[in-house]
Amino acid sequence: MAGKATPLPEAPSPGAGAPGPSLRALPSRNGSIRVTGLEHTYAAAGRVTKALEDIRLDIAPGRFVVIVGPSGCGKSSLLMMLAGLVAPTAGRIVCGGRALTAPDPDLVGVVFQEASLYPWLTAQENVEFPLSLRRVPRAERTQRARDKLALVGLAGFEDRYPHELSGGMKQRVSIARGLVQNPPVLLLDEPFAALDEQTRISMGDELLRIWEQTGKTVVFVTHSLTEAAYLADQIVVMSARPGRIVDRVEVDLPRPRTYAMMGTPRFAELRQRIWEQIRSQADG
Amino acid sequence: MSADASTRGAAATRRAGGWAVWLGALAVLFGTWQAALSLGLLSPMLLPPASAVLATAWDLVRRPDFLGDVGVTLAEVAVAFLVAVPLGIALGVAISESDYWSRVLRPIVFLVFSIPKTIFLPMFILAFGITFAQKVGFGVFSTVFIVLISTFSALESVKGDHVRVARAYGATRRQIALRVYLPSMAPVLLEAVRLAMIFNVTGILLAEMYAARAGLGQAVATWGQNYMLRELLAGILLIAAAAILFTEAVRWLEARCEHWRT
Amino acid sequence: MADTAVRRPAGAAPALRIAPRTLRVLLGFCVLVAWEVLPRSGAIPTLFLPSLSDTLAALADGAPEYGRHLLFTLRAIAVSMAVACGLGIGAGLLIGSVARLRRIVQPLASGLYAVPLVILYPLFTAWFGIGPQSKIVFASLYGLLPCLLGTIAGVQTIDRQYLLVARSLRATRRQTVLRVLLPAAIPTVLTSLRIGGALVIVGVVVAEMLTSAEGIGYLITRSRTLLDSPRVFAGILLVVAMVFAFDGLVRLLDHRTRHWRLSTRSGDGGA
Ligand SMILES: Nc1ncnc2c1ncn2[C@@H]1O[C@H](COP(=O)(O)OP(=O)(O)O)[C@@H](O)[C@H]1O
Ligand SMILES: [Mg+2]
Repeated sequence: MAGKATPLPEAPSPGAGAPGPSLRALPSRNGSIRVTGLEHTYAAAGRVTKALEDIRLDIAPGRFVVIVGPSGCGKSSLLMMLAGLVAPTAGRIVCGGRALTAPDPDLVGVVFQEASLYPWLTAQENVEFPLSLRRVPRAERTQRARDKLALVGLAGFEDRYPHELSGGMKQRVSIARGLVQNPPVLLLDEPFAALDEQTRISMGDELLRIWEQTGKTVVFVTHSLTEAAYLADQIVVMSARPGRIVDRVEVDLPRPRTYAMMGTPRFAELRQRIWEQIRSQADG
Repeated sequence: MSADASTRGAAATRRAGGWAVWLGALAVLFGTWQAALSLGLLSPMLLPPASAVLATAWDLVRRPDFLGDVGVTLAEVAVAFLVAVPLGIALGVAISESDYWSRVLRPIVFLVFSIPKTIFLPMFILAFGITFAQKVGFGVFSTVFIVLISTFSALESVKGDHVRVARAYGATRRQIALRVYLPSMAPVLLEAVRLAMIFNVTGILLAEMYAARAGLGQAVATWGQNYMLRELLAGILLIAAAAILFTEAVRWLEARCEHWRT
Repeated sequence: MADTAVRRPAGAAPALRIAPRTLRVLLGFCVLVAWEVLPRSGAIPTLFLPSLSDTLAALADGAPEYGRHLLFTLRAIAVSMAVACGLGIGAGLLIGSVARLRRIVQPLASGLYAVPLVILYPLFTAWFGIGPQSKIVFASLYGLLPCLLGTIAGVQTIDRQYLLVARSLRATRRQTVLRVLLPAAIPTVLTSLRIGGALVIVGVVVAEMLTSAEGIGYLITRSRTLLDSPRVFAGILLVVAMVFAFDGLVRLLDHRTRHWRLSTRSGDGGA
């Protein structure tokens, strides 16, 4: 069954003329990610779960990579490891040319699914939070947080508390918080899963705009095939039990992406291919 | 199968761990007790040796006068409990039956619940004198509100979906009551029983300590006034052990009922 | 409570029914009237229930004496409150955030919760005399367990994502406790404070009722032995007022931290 997966050519390695990022302003540090032989096993309540097996990733700086797969296939676990929050059972993660062993907020920003804003802080204070932990001077802190809130389109909402913001706005604040230390890599774990369809699409556009402007390497987890095809340079398809990579799909749709592209035959083809990979794994 | 066995194994380890914690706590208690004595922090007059207290406890449980006191207290506790729990549940169900009345009365119940009942003890003496009825009345008064409030939350724990499904399949009122409401409410109600017993026993012991001619509370108070610390400490240990064993037993039952819940 | 008045009852014949809040006020008024009328008309012997006006008169008459004893009681309450809530909440935060400690302390504390603590009071009077010390020790212990258990449970319910975010930002242990754990626990801490604080107040008064030569509780018991019902009720009224005042104070604090409660995972308040 593994034979059905026909991996496409690997993403070009940094410096080999990767499409896109050359035109954008690259952050000062290199946002490449290289994962080899990654494996993870959970042992909880006397039960052993093999969550991830033989994960290999090679992501060039400035690329937009989407990880898609059925729920429980280990997408979140993989992202936690890329964030340095969970130590893999085996394997190696090299990020920005250095082995990643612990959270490094200057290198990797993380956006969680929901409820990750602190309710006792305003939008502005939430975005400042990472800086205040590092004791960045107040004036600089305020300015940087303001800039990031403006970048995500929330100028004027600085003093709102999370409960005074809509679901989409909260995720914008989360993104601003993930960007405030200006890390070259941004990880997002199903950031729009709790939003309604319309908000979700416009948040996708918004994220693409931010990505174009900042040139970050983005790793985006979702279980939505449409979202995956709409956003990605490359789609990494995973299957469950144990979580493995079963396909890598290069998305050759032109940028900037538009809503109309979702109706094109090429878009349907891409979705079809991912779906077949996931389904064949589920049947087998 | 194997998963089931492993969870059961985990539960067994947890139970063994629970026993170990209690044994450890007892060791620490008696350890500090003996240490306080041998270091001379407290005179043996104020803190008799643990061995003497345990011997007194063994003595007490065979002494007819002590057993008489236990009997009086148990009778008061039992009657108050048997009145308060059904009364509280009936009131809770009655109030919840009507949407309107529950909105009128619930805030009042919560307000009254937030007032500590113990300070009303003198009123019961003024009304009933120093009698069995006064102790039971005060026990019921101390207990009924916690039962009432637990009944509210028990009723809320019944999922509307479960009731709707039962209705859709044509269940009768009786079937819904017995097959949906009862199993859903059982764990919450068992917790109510546990809390009710704590409130009840505290209320009745206090009433006995305050003014009584018999009963455990009266015995404890008298021992304290007469500096009979051996008996006092023995009594405290016995009452504490009984209370802890009772609640742990109910808690065990609660854990068994949890399986019904989703 | 205010919003129940605005919403119409969804059930039948809403037009005929009075708003629940109005009815509650009416009911409260009826209770007050009954308290005045029933004893006056002789339906209830005044020994059991002195009329409202008699009770208030007794309170006004004895004002200087009540004031003096109230001060004594309040001092004991203040000390006990600081001990019970300070220790309970502090230890609760620590124990709740260290899993190993929690697995030991939580079952012990909730087991001990079942012990009727009143029986310890005679021991404390034997050890510390009938002065304020025995009251303070007793009331502190009485309020301690609910504070401790409530705070431990509160720390447990803190969204794990909050801690994950802190960890992804490399917050130090100290930063995590002070800037995440503590603010996240504040709503539960306040609830524990409400419950524990009320118990501390009652603990002091009950201890005074049992054995004392001073304090509101002592005054209540003395009046009870003299069968002076109005003064017994006046004392009880005073204690109830004290509990309500404390409750109101904590509620006020609670209101100031509403952002905590409104922003739960599912509740999109301002969506
Ligand atoms: N902390 C954990 N302890 C034990 N098992 C876990 C833990 N986290 C995740 N798992 C298991 O690992 C697998 C992958 O989970 P996850 O990474 O959350 O998947 P996804 O994000 O794709 O839904 C699941 O089977 C899940 O049950
Ligand atoms: Mg996930």
